[in-house]
Amino acid sequence: MSLGRYLSFFSDTYYLNIFVRTIRVSLICTLVCMILGIPTAYFISRTSKKVRGVLMAIAIFPMLTNSVIRAFAWINVLGKNGIINQILGIFNIEPVSMLYTEFSVLIGTIYLFLPLMIITLVGVMENIDNDMMEAAESLGANRIVAFFKVILPMSVPGIITGSVLVFTGALTAYTTPQLLGGPSNMLMSTLIYQRAMTLNDWTSASVIALIMIVTTLIVMKGLNYVASKLDKRGLE
Amino acid sequence: MAEVRLENITVSYDGKNNVLEGLNLKVNEGELLALLGPSGCGKTTTLRVIAGFIDPKDGHMYCDDRDFTRIPVHKRNFGLVFQSYALFPHLNVYENVAFGLKLRKMDKVTIEKKVTEILKVCDLTEFKDRLPKNLSGGQRQRVALARALVIEPELLLLDEPLSNLDAKLRLNMRVEIKRIQKKLGITTVFVTHDQEECFSISDKVAVMNGGVIEQFGTPEEIYTRPKTEFVARFIGFENFIKLHKVDGVLECADGTKISVDDSGDKDECLLTIRPDDIKIVADDYKGENVLCGEVVVRTYLGKSYQYETMTPFGKVVVNDASGTLYNTGDKIRMVLDKAKIVLV
Amino acid sequence: MKKGGFITIVAVLVFVFLMFPLVIIACTAFNTAPTISFPIQGFTLDWFKNVFATESFIDGFKLSFTLAIVATLLALLVGVPAAYALSRFSIKGKKFLKNYFLSPTIIPGIVLGYALYQFIVLTLKMGVIEGLLIGHFMVVLPYIIRVVGSSLEQFDFSIEEMAWTLGCPKIKAFFKVVLPNISSGIVASFMLAFINSFNNIPISMFLSGPGVRTLPTALMNYIEYFYDPTVSAISVLLMIGTILIMVLVEKTLGIGALTK
Repeated sequence: MSLGRYLSFFSDTYYLNIFVRTIRVSLICTLVCMILGIPTAYFISRTSKKVRGVLMAIAIFPMLTNSVIRAFAWINVLGKNGIINQILGIFNIEPVSMLYTEFSVLIGTIYLFLPLMIITLVGVMENIDNDMMEAAESLGANRIVAFFKVILPMSVPGIITGSVLVFTGALTAYTTPQLLGGPSNMLMSTLIYQRAMTLNDWTSASVIALIMIVTTLIVMKGLNYVASKLDKRGLE
Repeated sequence: MAEVRLENITVSYDGKNNVLEGLNLKVNEGELLALLGPSGCGKTTTLRVIAGFIDPKDGHMYCDDRDFTRIPVHKRNFGLVFQSYALFPHLNVYENVAFGLKLRKMDKVTIEKKVTEILKVCDLTEFKDRLPKNLSGGQRQRVALARALVIEPELLLLDEPLSNLDAKLRLNMRVEIKRIQKKLGITTVFVTHDQEECFSISDKVAVMNGGVIEQFGTPEEIYTRPKTEFVARFIGFENFIKLHKVDGVLECADGTKISVDDSGDKDECLLTIRPDDIKIVADDYKGENVLCGEVVVRTYLGKSYQYETMTPFGKVVVNDASGTLYNTGDKIRMVLDKAKIVLV
Repeated sequence: MKKGGFITIVAVLVFVFLMFPLVIIACTAFNTAPTISFPIQGFTLDWFKNVFATESFIDGFKLSFTLAIVATLLALLVGVPAAYALSRFSIKGKKFLKNYFLSPTIIPGIVLGYALYQFIVLTLKMGVIEGLLIGHFMVVLPYIIRVVGSSLEQFDFSIEEMAWTLGCPKIKAFFKVVLPNISSGIVASFMLAFINSFNNIPISMFLSGPGVRTLPTALMNYIEYFYDPTVSAISVLLMIGTILIMVLVEKTLGIGALTK
């Protein structure tokens, strides 16, 4: 396979759009998972062992549920006759079409990977001794300051690991964009399947597959590089 | 510097059982008070009430007559040293120490001056760029101390600060803490379960058990005059003999008369005495407070031998440095030093 | 422990977000309305009957279940000795091998499925079942090696050496001393591998053949054409299965075993 094929991938606006959309969805998904995951994981990590077990079970449960079911659940929520539109209907608001948009893909992807972020972060945060928080407080930090000055910097390795997992996961997820995105919101993974199985276009499928692997690798190496830079102080 | 008072503090974690029960305590300005007791006695809870981590169910805490009971931890300005040290692993020594000052919005120059000064006092100047994980146990301990002291706290609180150090370092740090505390004249509360550590460092001692203070006093008072059996046992008294009063005179179970300076007003009491305060005497010894026993176990202690003997009213342990050896089965006579006998 | 109000609010919202869609489909599974709709009109079990009357679901379940069990058992057979060798001996290329076992995060499932399709179906022209088995085996093997490997890291190998000095042959020592001590890791890896195989879509999409569909691909196919609560009903059944597995794991190892 020649280099030309890769160049033609990036010069074809159709492909390029899909590539950019995939990166955009993965990036926003990672950010949202971070913003929602960090406080939630901190909340979970500070509960008693018993409560933590229950909360973790609730967080793990969607992860163990088939992704078809999870996507199907969001079809029920976001669809034309879905929950949200029915509620809007009560207030005589015209149905909004949310399904088969980039928004629905994003929601589905966040739903897919938020538990992963939470679980990764809890793993790191529950090992942060409560003494750290108390030490910061005794030195004059209120809870919010102590969280940002002590807990957050100490959680950086977990945040990086979680972000790598979420980003690469979102980049390569197939079922969710297939069911929630529809043909007009294709991502790289759905594109591969379409090229290979529907159009029998093996060359394109292989090119996309390789681009996907390379992108994943670059992101992983990149984030790990950032981590090692941030981490040169050597977190334990 | 401050004076601290706890009044009627009651703490309960589950709403039913009280961990502290109507506790009263006063620490004078510039004094070092040790809270001594076995694990679970409530000493750490007491410290955490003072620090502000625990809201007492009842009672008040005063600092220089200001009511501190409801003041949040971060506004109390108390320096705290944890058993685990709780150094921030992502910050180096300098940044750890500067943490509290930065929160007080001090300017860079002041912060640098204060940190440099306290690092010098704590002998840490050369380590200021190191991360906690690259420090030895003793160095970490001193960083924790420096970090607590640099904010010029009203009160210094130490939670078993020496228990993670090896024996030799512990002795050095003990002296070091005392030196720094006296130099700065800072009121200090020190939690420990080690009686030797406690006596050597403190001005006042509160021995705690089951959420109440069993005895409060100077180290000397507590060491020589324990008031309860619990305190006596905890600080190393080993011999306990039941006595009862017959015609105003104390007797052992077998009728051996015991003469003491003050026989108290109870009809029954417990005699206690340290093994060092019993002497082995010759068979023809005439005098008061003589017990007979048979040697059961002999243990070499270095400067003396310890004999565990069986008497008609139970086990009696005696330390003998005279050099005369007794063997298992030997009958010996022991005299209790009248001045050292404690009744509880 | 006192907690900030903000953090509590976020956490509650997140948990609502996580549970809400699943609760919704659970509700629709019992609704009499033929399309998925709210509010609930009446209670019925018809959709569950429909599940058992739909051949592609029953066949799909049988295939998925068998595939998951067989692939996981095969992977255990290969993975446990491999994990043992990786942590016990310093083999050349150990780092490379370890990286390989992290590969599921590098090689996307969809790419692996595509690659396997090209190799197994187009080049080797293997049967559908064999192809699926190889694909699922490759998906679950890394889970086995990682989870068993992490419990071997906790294992004190001097215990094994102790057994040798007491006259126990090496093979026997492995079964009598090492295995019992990593049994919880093996059970956890089994559960994790089973669930991942059972739920896998990208591999199965590529390797399924005419008339041979795993349950998730059958479901996916069904959703693309029909929109009725039968899928809700089957979702409820699968969720009950998941809950059973979680309870089982919690009772034996603690739920934390699944997050390693």
